[in-house]
Amino acid sequence: MSARNRELLALIPASLLVSFGFAAIFIERAAELSNVSLSYGAMFLALCLTGHVVLRFLLPHADPYLFPLAAVLVCFGLVVIYRLNPDKALIQARWFVIALALFTATIFFLRQDFRVLERYRYTIAVAGLLLLAAPRLPFIGQQVNGAYLGVKVGPISFQPAEFSKIAIVIFLAAYLRDNRQVLVQGAKRFLGLTIPPLKQFGPLLVIWGLAMLMLIFIRDLGSSLMFFGGFLALLYVATNRFSFVVAGMTAFFAGSWLIATNVSHVRERLTIWRDPFAPDVVQGAGYQLAQSLFAQADGGLFGKGFAQALLGTPKQSILPTPDTDFIYAVIVNELGLVGACALLLVYLLFVERGLRIAMLGQDSFSKLLATGLTAVFALQVFVIVGGVIKLIPLTGVTLPFVSYGGSSIVANFVLLALLLLVSDRARRTAVGMTP
Amino acid sequence: MLEPMAVILKFAFLAVLYLFLIWMARSALKDLGRAVGGRAGPGTSPGSDYDQATGMQAAVSGLATSPAQAPPRLRVVSAPGLRSGDAYDLSEGATLGRGDEADIRLQDAFASSRHARLVPQGDVIVLEDLGSTNGTRFNGEVLAGPQPLHAGDAIQIGDSEFRFER
Repeated sequence: MSARNRELLALIPASLLVSFGFAAIFIERAAELSNVSLSYGAMFLALCLTGHVVLRFLLPHADPYLFPLAAVLVCFGLVVIYRLNPDKALIQARWFVIALALFTATIFFLRQDFRVLERYRYTIAVAGLLLLAAPRLPFIGQQVNGAYLGVKVGPISFQPAEFSKIAIVIFLAAYLRDNRQVLVQGAKRFLGLTIPPLKQFGPLLVIWGLAMLMLIFIRDLGSSLMFFGGFLALLYVATNRFSFVVAGMTAFFAGSWLIATNVSHVRERLTIWRDPFAPDVVQGAGYQLAQSLFAQADGGLFGKGFAQALLGTPKQSILPTPDTDFIYAVIVNELGLVGACALLLVYLLFVERGLRIAMLGQDSFSKLLATGLTAVFALQVFVIVGGVIKLIPLTGVTLPFVSYGGSSIVANFVLLALLLLVSDRARRTAVGMTP
Repeated sequence: MLEPMAVILKFAFLAVLYLFLIWMARSALKDLGRAVGGRAGPGTSPGSDYDQATGMQAAVSGLATSPAQAPPRLRVVSAPGLRSGDAYDLSEGATLGRGDEADIRLQDAFASSRHARLVPQGDVIVLEDLGSTNGTRFNGEVLAGPQPLHAGDAIQIGDSEFRFER
């Protein structure tokens, strides 16, 4: 079976999932099974087919599994958001269409050779940093729960960090492609550790400094962990020096500890994380996290079923922001451990495909780009799921493809487009056709 | 209120999801097996452990055009900023120069930003000067026009010396 036919076949289960999910919610809502759920499934299938046709024509050799995996994640998101708030699901579906349009545009403009991105690395880096800083600008910046992550221009508000993660990965991949050999070669070895020359280490220190600045300015531990972790992953792949990773992690934790003890917003997150059930925390700041943990435990093995989670009484909401930050908790409550594992497995397979593309890549830039994009994607899932299950302090990044929010789904589809572009080029040369 | 239909649908949802995952994982595993056996890495800089460990190749690389013949390579004899003994794969051609767009970047004050290029034409690689300020020397003589390369030919740009191998 050809790669594209496999992709086409894999889209069918994704649409079935949409039909089943919507049908279950309809039954709970109106106690009757209408065929509307099937038409939702059919509409979803039609949208996915558009994406599939785009890939068939523009990137015939691209990895066949990534797109269906993303489609399943989007389907999870649409079903759960519909269950929480039908109006928001409609908006999210609209964003899905826009995301597919941008996905197509990215592939269309970069289909000849995505390595032109390398040429604009500094422009892209500046754009990424500006986007990151935008939430702190007057008039358009927005503070949500103490963190500066949103930008509001007129009626549209979006999270620029979602786009800047892609921009910064492109820049780092281009930068490390040039300098990776220098980083290792000029290095002195001291006590078994590789210490690169200061001239080359300078930029790395600058990036560490930027991550710390981000922590101060945006006040979001999760995003800076995501960015810095992605950077360390790239550095490791580029140089094969584990000591860099150890040094980077140490510096990051030392820095964030210092900042956490001094910035009240970050300190509060740490207090909640240490013990959300402490008497003085659980009724106030720790309420969200404590409720999320209760909800997940309540889900049991197979979950309470679609539309069964108790989200709140008319007077008081029990689980706040269920459609963005805590969407994972809702999924665990309604589908149980089994459903949650399935969701995490989808992410795991997505990441596996991403790293696989990096391994197949023929040139350093492709390899580094694929690794970097996959790493920030994986870290984003880790940061939000880890936060919701209280493994790490909770921060407000979105669950990629699933959470409600336009910028998240659009940015992740652009990320997917870039991965597929790298994959198409790598597999085309591997098959032996002229590149 | 527990609708039996809703419960069935939930389990159907989970079943479809897991079947999908099993199928995906199986194909992924099959793919992985293929990759371990079939990965042919034209060693671009032998001896540098960071290349082999992470599967990264030097700045320019590609699969050999014909497996029977060794891939054409450009070996660094001595060049400022490049390590002597490193080799670049030329199967897809390469440009040499001081600028950002060059595939093989020279840190040589006498090199132009786009100095020279190596173009594959059928089975041979052709060396061509791109109108550089200080010229390119081929086996000790200033290069006049496009020049097909043979194994052992020496290329000199400023203070940088390379040898062509295949």
